[in-house]
Amino acid sequence: MLLLKEETHEQQSKLAEYCKTGIVPELDGIIEENLHHYRRLVFNIGIDTIETAYPITYRFLPDEIWDKLVYEFYAEHKCQTPQVWRMPLEFYEYCVEKDIQGKLNIPFLNDLLYFEWLELEMHTMEDIPYPSYDTKGDLLKNLLAINPEHKLVKFTYPVHVLAATELEGKEGNYFLLMYREKESGRIQFMDVSILYAYILEQIQNGLTLHAVLTDADSLFQINNFEMLKEHALVFINDLKQRQFILGFLNK
Amino acid sequence: MQLKDNKYIGIGFRKDFSEELLDSTVLKPAFIELAPENWIGMGGYWKKQLDKAAEKFPISCHGLSLSIGSPDELDLDFLYKIKKFIKQYKVQIYSEHLSYAKCDNAHLYDLLPIPFRKDAVKHIIARIKQVQDVLEMPLAIENVSYYTPVAAEMDEATFISEIVNGSGCNLLLDVNNVYVNSFNHKYNAKEFIKKLPLDKVAYIHMAGHEQISDTVIIDTHGEAVIDQVFDLFEYATGLLKPVPVLLERDFNIPELEELQGEITRMETIVSKTWKKEHAIA
Repeated sequence: MLLLKEETHEQQSKLAEYCKTGIVPELDGIIEENLHHYRRLVFNIGIDTIETAYPITYRFLPDEIWDKLVYEFYAEHKCQTPQVWRMPLEFYEYCVEKDIQGKLNIPFLNDLLYFEWLELEMHTMEDIPYPSYDTKGDLLKNLLAINPEHKLVKFTYPVHVLAATELEGKEGNYFLLMYREKESGRIQFMDVSILYAYILEQIQNGLTLHAVLTDADSLFQINNFEMLKEHALVFINDLKQRQFILGFLNK
Repeated sequence: MQLKDNKYIGIGFRKDFSEELLDSTVLKPAFIELAPENWIGMGGYWKKQLDKAAEKFPISCHGLSLSIGSPDELDLDFLYKIKKFIKQYKVQIYSEHLSYAKCDNAHLYDLLPIPFRKDAVKHIIARIKQVQDVLEMPLAIENVSYYTPVAAEMDEATFISEIVNGSGCNLLLDVNNVYVNSFNHKYNAKEFIKKLPLDKVAYIHMAGHEQISDTVIIDTHGEAVIDQVFDLFEYATGLLKPVPVLLERDFNIPELEELQGEITRMETIVSKTWKKEHAIA
């Protein structure tokens, strides 16, 4: 840093700032008519990356609003990741921090962006070691081994179920289970009720299905353990068939 | 890089055609090149593809975001991730651009021209040495295409030469970039090449570009390599020892036959200019 003179740093900063904002700076010894190529090239990479990551939001927002949002993000935000494919996360975080959904009066915008980011993240995230498990055991009494490459997410709007144009007025509690298939790497999505979300969360926390159902029976005021068990086993068997539940944890 | 059967020409490993490449009997590069930024920390399907590619081809790495010419401090955390990646995939050539892509704590994800100035030379020499110390291997630095100089106080060839000679790094000679710059800045491409420290060239890049006006060519990597760039390649390789050569094609990916055609044309050229049997060290 000490080897670089302030005036050289200043020239570099001005060019970089121009690429972010498009506001033409005074730079020494440049070919003025060519300067715009840098702004265009830098900005296009940013736009393409964000639009590819958020295709639903991009299509949903009117062009002028989307363009303004992306412009402001690029001008105001300092992208921190050296990996451009991770940059869309910073776009989502920027929108949350700046309360873009409040400013645009689109109350489901944060959920929508987060849903789209999660799909990308699930697809690309680093591999997580699978637990050691047996294929035979008792679904109720043994600890269940689950696919570690999953996320259980709560949304306020059903962005994973309905089109963006149908979300207005649908505020509530919605849960999405996303997991990555081991062999194909494909991402599977499953809308789950609050009860099943609770069951999955507790299994993940290391409880047996029997213990979870015992708790859930009173917590959700079902007061019918046998009925709950019957429905839960259908759900759990379905997840086993989908290979989200892998089997039974080895002790 | 150890390459087999006097084959020198590799191709950029792009997700757009990775599946085709891995199964292809048409496209037969000697090695593949990838940007570590696009693969570090990636799991799932793409990690599997990368691992398959690593089993089939030697890998070179060409970085995008180290930002060797940045006024900012080097991102050491990221550099150590690159080091780990290089070790994991037995990468023997790691190159970066003589440009900056980050400034004042903001990544821009494209290559901006460094002012050709004496203080920038000193600054970059120190950074390259730091990178080489961390990686425990030489860095190859690429001459980049640029559309305007900024506050220059020396010419481009002098700037590159002083950095390469002062840092002890290698030079990645991007022949297409020489052609693009010679057109945009109206100099003689062959004369330019002769001024470079050719004994330090460890790697060559070839690519296509797009002429967008009477006075400007943009380095797009989205078109076929033109005849004039093949001619310049023939001229350059006549001055050099044998080194790996990389065909860059990032956009408008054509049929693999077309890419192999470009590879074959380069192989034919180097079979003349590099007549002797060589194992690339």
